[in-house]
Amino acid sequence: MSSAGLLTMRSLSALFLGCLIAGATSAAPSADEMLAASDDIRNPSQAFSMTVTLTEFQAGKQVDASTLTSYARPQAGGQFASLIRFVLPARDAGKLMLKHGNEMWFYDPTNKASVRLSPQQRLMGQASNGDVATVNFSRDYKATLAATETIQDGERQPRRTHKLALTATAPDATYASIELWVDADSNRPIKARFFADSARLLKTAYYRRYQTQLGAQRPTETVIIDGLDPQSVTLMRFSAYAARAIPEAWLQRDFLPRFKPD
Amino acid sequence: MRLTAPSLRHCLLAAAMASALSTLAAAPLAGSASPPQAESDALDLEAPAPAGSEARALRLLIEAAVGRASQRYLPYARDSARLSLDLSHSASWGHGLRSVVSDRLDQMQPVSGDSPEMVNSLREAYASWQSGDGDTLVEAGRINLRFGPGFGYNPTDFFRDGSLRTLTTVDPVALRENRMGSVMLRAQAIRAGSSFSLAYSPKLAERPSRGGLGLDLGSTNSRARLLAAAAGPISPSLSGRLLAYRDDGAYGALGANLSALVSDAAVMHLEWSGSSEPDLLARAQAGPTAKALGASALRNRLVLGGTYTTLSKWSLTAEYQYNGFGLGQSAWAALGATPLAQRAYLQEALRRQELAPRQAYLLHAARKGLLLKSLDLGAYLRINPGDGSRLGWIELRQHWNSADLSLQLQDNHGRPASEFGLLPERRSVQLLGTYYY
Repeated sequence: MSSAGLLTMRSLSALFLGCLIAGATSAAPSADEMLAASDDIRNPSQAFSMTVTLTEFQAGKQVDASTLTSYARPQAGGQFASLIRFVLPARDAGKLMLKHGNEMWFYDPTNKASVRLSPQQRLMGQASNGDVATVNFSRDYKATLAATETIQDGERQPRRTHKLALTATAPDATYASIELWVDADSNRPIKARFFADSARLLKTAYYRRYQTQLGAQRPTETVIIDGLDPQSVTLMRFSAYAARAIPEAWLQRDFLPRFKPD
Repeated sequence: MRLTAPSLRHCLLAAAMASALSTLAAAPLAGSASPPQAESDALDLEAPAPAGSEARALRLLIEAAVGRASQRYLPYARDSARLSLDLSHSASWGHGLRSVVSDRLDQMQPVSGDSPEMVNSLREAYASWQSGDGDTLVEAGRINLRFGPGFGYNPTDFFRDGSLRTLTTVDPVALRENRMGSVMLRAQAIRAGSSFSLAYSPKLAERPSRGGLGLDLGSTNSRARLLAAAAGPISPSLSGRLLAYRDDGAYGALGANLSALVSDAAVMHLEWSGSSEPDLLARAQAGPTAKALGASALRNRLVLGGTYTTLSKWSLTAEYQYNGFGLGQSAWAALGATPLAQRAYLQEALRRQELAPRQAYLLHAARKGLLLKSLDLGAYLRINPGDGSRLGWIELRQHWNSADLSLQLQDNHGRPASEFGLLPERRSVQLLGTYYY
């Protein structure tokens, strides 16, 4: 084959490959679709309960631990309403937190007080109330594709990811903006950075220890690193996933004093 | 993935990209972006195995406290000691039936007058039935029914008077924890985000008990009472409650609560009640066992407050408190001619958990994880603008998994005949150890 023929063959191959890539590119999922897909990996689509174990570290030393049970129920708009029951330590046993749309209530059975919380109060503590509540980011944030890059994941493996820039669109969104890295192939959430209105970094999170829970591979541990004090770290471990009926009646302030799980 | 037919322009552009990529493919793969060292260290951390998540039926705590208080009317400070046992138990009997018992036993030294050293407060003892879907509830027994979003004063907490047998702290939150419920029959229905409840509390005794270990039904059930309450969201950021109250002293009251989310960092609350009952001075002069007193003109009680949370994790609350049945400054000053009458007035206000002056301000600050992750700070300042007196209280609480250690300081500041300047204790310090089982 002559060099001219070879060149033509190469050009045709490149053209064919280009057409394939162009076809694939124009059909690639949007940033919002990637975000929704990552939500579906983090959160089951039906009402469910799970145990959340929080272990807090300071400079590598464990300083606190607590256990919660989370009850989450999808709402009409696609967002979850969550009821959180504190189990351990004994000091906090029986306390409840309800997040339902814009409403967030904290109930202490020892003094019978239901206290309304502001979104900023949700940020108190590293694994803030906003983190413990089940949240679909795609309902509260608009996503744009910021980059495609390889980062180290929570298991210290290089991972090719899409970096999504999330901007809050819902008034009750916990964070003003989020940077979320999702696996380029599977849309698994890998890492996130959460920001306040002032663009201050509040925390960094790594999603890891993927296991099959309620029919899908889901992260069963989140490593949360404080934005101001990176020596302050919380591990959130999720276990005992169970699909369960959660009546709508449970998800309002006046039910909190009556909430007695089976 | 949805496939679409690419245009020729797209194909040519992509061909150029493919050529470039084929060149890049020959180059070694660049290293992945590594996280900063602190993040990398965090990824090495391991959590212990998850603990069980079953709700425990029994909650038990033991608290020991020692304190010292400088005295206004004595030349020496007085020491105090207390041991408290606090338990609650909840049991499910199937078919929606449940029983709840909650009790607190305090052993205190010294005590005033002929008060017993050991006091038992049966806070709750009731049975309940709840429908399977949670829509309907019926309860009977001694129930601690409490309404009102106010932090330091609750005009719509209609069952608060006489509910405290012991006063171990001035912390409003702890006071709510220690109080006794009233014997009542209560029903509640929840429908589509709203709720309605009706409670009837009968008269069971004439007067408060002098003994420390009895049920003390005379403090909580000395008259028949009826309370209806309806609650629901008004808008996504505003929720409210309406209350109607009546007792067999022929005093009726209406009340309303509002809680509002006003910004990302701020919530506000409003609590109001209006009635035409006797004023606080008349009640103090008549004593707790007095029969029906003459009603007054319609007056109001009000609390307006807000909580702001900073990004540095401070939670700051300010509250304006108004009691139309309390003494105004000139009447309070006139009462100062007989200090015993002033003290009796303050004692009755305390017994009723009522605001003694006509108006007051309260400032509260809380910070979790102050300096140390397990160290919490709570502090409040209560100001009587009429006489300028003030009460300051601060608590540092260090907590571990099963125990707390806290240090509380209190300062009662004011002129001799003022609300807080009249109190026998000038300053006090208290050290508390609490073990949670």
